[in-house]
Amino acid sequence: MAFTIKVKVNGEWKTADVEPEMTLLELLREQWGLTGTKLGCDEGDCGACTVLFDGKPVNSCLVLAVRADGHEVVTVEGLGTAERPHPLQSAFEQHGAVQCGFCAPGMLISAKALLDANPEPTEQEIREALAGNLCRCTGYTKIVEAVKSAGRAMKSSVK
Amino acid sequence: MKHFEYFSAHSAEEAVALLQKYSPDALPIAGGTELLVRMKQNLIHPKVLVDITHVPEFQGIALTEEGLRIGSLVTHAEVAASPLVRQFAPAVAAASGSVGAVQTRNLGTLGGNLVSCVPSIDSAPALLVLEAQAVVFGVNGRRQFPLTELFVGPRCSSLTPAELLEAVIIPRHNLGKPTCFSKFGRRKALTIALVNAAACVETNPERTHFSQVRLALGAVAPTPIRAYTAEAYLAGRPIAQEVLLEAGRLAAEDAKPIDDFRASAEYRRHLIGVLTRRVIEGALAGMPKV
Amino acid sequence: MERDVIRKVPLVKPGEPGMIVEEAPTEELAGYPSVGRRIPRRDTIFQVLGQLKYINDLSFPGMLYAKVLRSRYAHARILRVDVSKALEVPGVVAAITADDIPVNSFGPSLQDQPVLAKDKVRHMGDGIAAVAAVSEQIAEEALEKIVVEYEPLPVVLDPLEAMREDAPRIHEPRSNIYWEWHIRKGDVEKALAEAHLVVQERYRTQMVEHVSMETHSSIAMWDAGGRLTVWCTVGRITLARTDLARILQVPVSRVRVVSTQLGGNFGGKNEITIEPVLAILAKKTGRPVKGTYSRKEEFIASTTRHPFIMEYTSGVTAEGRIIARKVRLIADGGAYCSWSETTLGKATILSAGPYDIPNIALDGYVVYTNKPMTGAMRGFGAPQVCFAYESHMDTIAHRLGMDPLQIRLLNAYDEGSISATGQILHSVALKKTLLAAAERFGWEVKER
Repeated sequence: MAFTIKVKVNGEWKTADVEPEMTLLELLREQWGLTGTKLGCDEGDCGACTVLFDGKPVNSCLVLAVRADGHEVVTVEGLGTAERPHPLQSAFEQHGAVQCGFCAPGMLISAKALLDANPEPTEQEIREALAGNLCRCTGYTKIVEAVKSAGRAMKSSVK
Repeated sequence: MKHFEYFSAHSAEEAVALLQKYSPDALPIAGGTELLVRMKQNLIHPKVLVDITHVPEFQGIALTEEGLRIGSLVTHAEVAASPLVRQFAPAVAAASGSVGAVQTRNLGTLGGNLVSCVPSIDSAPALLVLEAQAVVFGVNGRRQFPLTELFVGPRCSSLTPAELLEAVIIPRHNLGKPTCFSKFGRRKALTIALVNAAACVETNPERTHFSQVRLALGAVAPTPIRAYTAEAYLAGRPIAQEVLLEAGRLAAEDAKPIDDFRASAEYRRHLIGVLTRRVIEGALAGMPKV
Repeated sequence: MERDVIRKVPLVKPGEPGMIVEEAPTEELAGYPSVGRRIPRRDTIFQVLGQLKYINDLSFPGMLYAKVLRSRYAHARILRVDVSKALEVPGVVAAITADDIPVNSFGPSLQDQPVLAKDKVRHMGDGIAAVAAVSEQIAEEALEKIVVEYEPLPVVLDPLEAMREDAPRIHEPRSNIYWEWHIRKGDVEKALAEAHLVVQERYRTQMVEHVSMETHSSIAMWDAGGRLTVWCTVGRITLARTDLARILQVPVSRVRVVSTQLGGNFGGKNEITIEPVLAILAKKTGRPVKGTYSRKEEFIASTTRHPFIMEYTSGVTAEGRIIARKVRLIADGGAYCSWSETTLGKATILSAGPYDIPNIALDGYVVYTNKPMTGAMRGFGAPQVCFAYESHMDTIAHRLGMDPLQIRLLNAYDEGSISATGQILHSVALKKTLLAAAERFGWEVKER
C-alpha cells in the first residue's frame, strides 16, 4: 500500500505517493529530481546522503520516506543558488575543499548544521561534526579550513 | 529493499498489539540505523514494520522517584546532550556521544542500541555499572528487571516478539556516582568498538582505598558483561598502579574475547587491561577533590 | 550553463573584483593569469550547489534498471543457467546470459575476462546473468529467481600455492602465472658472494579497494540508426569504446562513450565493467538501461590493489654501499588480468629502489587466484615495492649500525646514475631532497 505524504523540502511543501520501503534518499533523488544528495554506501557509513531533517543532519538512506511525513527536509539544493551561494558553498570553492565533489553535498549539510548551532567552532568541533562524512580525495584539511572560514564570514555578515 | 507493510503506532498498546497480530513476521522500527541496514543487506526480511517513533510512553528523560528514567526512543544525540544525564550519569552521556557519527546519533535510539544485543554496543557498559533497570512493555503490561538480563547472546535479547523496551531507569542511589566510559576502535569516530568499558568507582573518604568498584565491558563476550572477579578484587584495595594492573588482568579473565576480522582475542585481552585502568582512573579524576 | 556562473571562473586579469586570484608569485609570472596562482576550479561551484550531474544522477524516459547475478562460489563450473522464472516477474523486461554476448571477453592487456561467465566462475564477483526491469527493486527480486547449477571446484586463494605446478588451474590449460618480468644488471650472484653482509627479508602487503565515494554507474542507449551511446564512470573512454565495439561486434565508429564528472576513480574506474551488459540489454529492450554498482559489488566485482609478496636480498660492503640486490615479487593477480601486466611492470622496474646498485636481478610474477580482480590503483605497484625497499634499507642500516639517512645518501641515485633497466638518469634531486627534508624536520645524523 502506498502512502501519501507531505514533506517541506527546501522551504516548500511537496506531496508524494511512496511505498513503505522507499527511503527518503530515493524520494528526493528519484521522485523529486533532487540529485544533489548522493548515494554512497547505502548503509549510513559515508554521509554522502546527509540532509537536514527538522534541522538535524541524518543519513537519508536510513530514513524511510513515510517517516518524513509532516517534517522539514533541507538538501544541498536548499542552501544557496549560483547568484547567492551559501557562505559555506563559497568557502568550499575558495579553499579548494572539493575534488571529485561527491562528498561535498553531505559535507556542506553537516557543516551547516554545525554552524547553525555553533558559529565559531574549534577545529576539533568541526572534525567531530564531519566525522560521519567520508571524503576519499582531498583529505579533510581544506574542508576543515573552509568550514572555519565560512563560520567567520557568516558571523561578520550578521554584525 | 524488499517490500513490507508499514504501520505507525501511536501508543504502546497499539504497538505491541500490531506486533502480536503480525508475529512472527513483524519487527518494530525506531531510528532504523540498525534494522534498515540489515534489511538492505538481505539479512532479514520482515513482512511488517511497526514504527514506534511516535509512541509517547517511550519518550523523554525524567528524574523520577525511582531514579533517572531514559525513554527507549531518546536518540543518542539527545542522551549525550541531556543536562540531566550529564549531571547524574556522565558516563552514559559519553557513551551515547561515542556511537557512530552525528547523523547516526540523530536517528539511532538508546533503546534500539540496547535491544540489538550486539556485543559491542556502546550504550551498555555505562548503564550496567549504574545497575540500570529495563522497563519492558508487552501485551500483558509492564515488567521490570535488571538490564543485564536483557542480554542473552549476540543479537539475542530476552524480549518476546511482542514486547518492547520502554525505558531504562538508573536507580536513585547510583545517581551522580563517579563513572567513566571509554571505547577503543580502529578509528576515532564512526567505529565499532574493539573493546569498550565503563566503571563506577567509590572510595573511602580519604581516597586511599577503593570501597566498591563496578566494571563493565563490551565486545569481549557474547553479551556486554560485568567483570565481577575484577570488581571483587578491587573492593578494599589501595588505589595504586599495581592494583589497577591486576584488576585489568582479572577483567580479561572475566571476559571471553574472540578472534574476528576486527581484532584478535589476544589484542582484545590487552585492550581490556588498558581500558580497565583508563575507566577507573577516569572515574577517580572526575571525583571532587578531597 | 548560465553565463554568469561561468564568469565567476577566473581566466581573468589578477585583481578583477570578486576573483580569488592571488598575487603573482614572481615578477616574471605577473603577465600570466593563472601560472603559480591558486585558482578555483570551473566545476566546483556546480558541485557545491548540488547541480553537477554524475552518471547516477542522469535518467532518460522509459529507462530500465539492470542488476547482475553474481556467483555463489569463488571457483566452480556452471552446469546450467535458467532465467525463465526471472522473466516471469512482473516488471522484468529482459534477461541475458553469456549466450547473448557476441564476443564474451575483454581486458586491457589480456582479454581473459568474460562479460558474463559461461562455463565457469573464477571468483565471487563474476556475473552469470543479468536482468533489466522497471525498477532496481524488481531487478533485484528477479535475480533471486534465476536458477544456476554449479559444480564447485577447489579454490586457490594464496598466490604461492597458485604458483605450484599441481595447483588447480584457474584459466585452464594455462598456468596460473600469467605474466612475468625479469630485469638483470651486472652479476648479482658474484657480488652477493663478495659482500660483507647479506640481508634477506620478505614483505607482504594486503588487498585494497579504491572505495570511490561514487560506485560504478552507467547508462546505455541505442539510437534509431544503430549507434550506441554509453554514459559511464570510466576514466579511459577510448579503451572502453574499443572494448565495447569488440564485444558487441559493431564498428568503433558506432560507439560513443561519454564520461562526465567522476565521483572518485583512483584507478578503479579504468576499464569497463557492467557496460556491455547494459548495451546488450538496451539493444534487446529498445530502451535505455542503467546499471549502478552497490557498495558490495564495488568490493567484489571491481578491481582492487594487488597484494604483493616481496622477497629482498641485498649484499652490502662494510661501509654501507649496496653492491647487489635481488628481488622476487609475487603479485596476487586475482581472477583476471585487468591492469596486472602494467602494475607488475612498474613494480618490477622500481623494485630495486632509487639506489645506485651495480648488480641487480629483479623477477616479477603475477598469478591468478580465486579472488576479486586486481588492477590499477594509484601508483600501479609502486607503493608496494616502496614499502618493501625502504623498510629493507632501514634493516640494512640497523644491521650495519648505520644511520638510516646516511645509508640512503651513500647509495641514492645521482646525476648520471644508471637505473636497473639501463636508463641514464638526469635532473636527479634525490640527495638534495633528502638533505632538505632532514633539515626541515630536524633529523640529526648520529655517528655510531
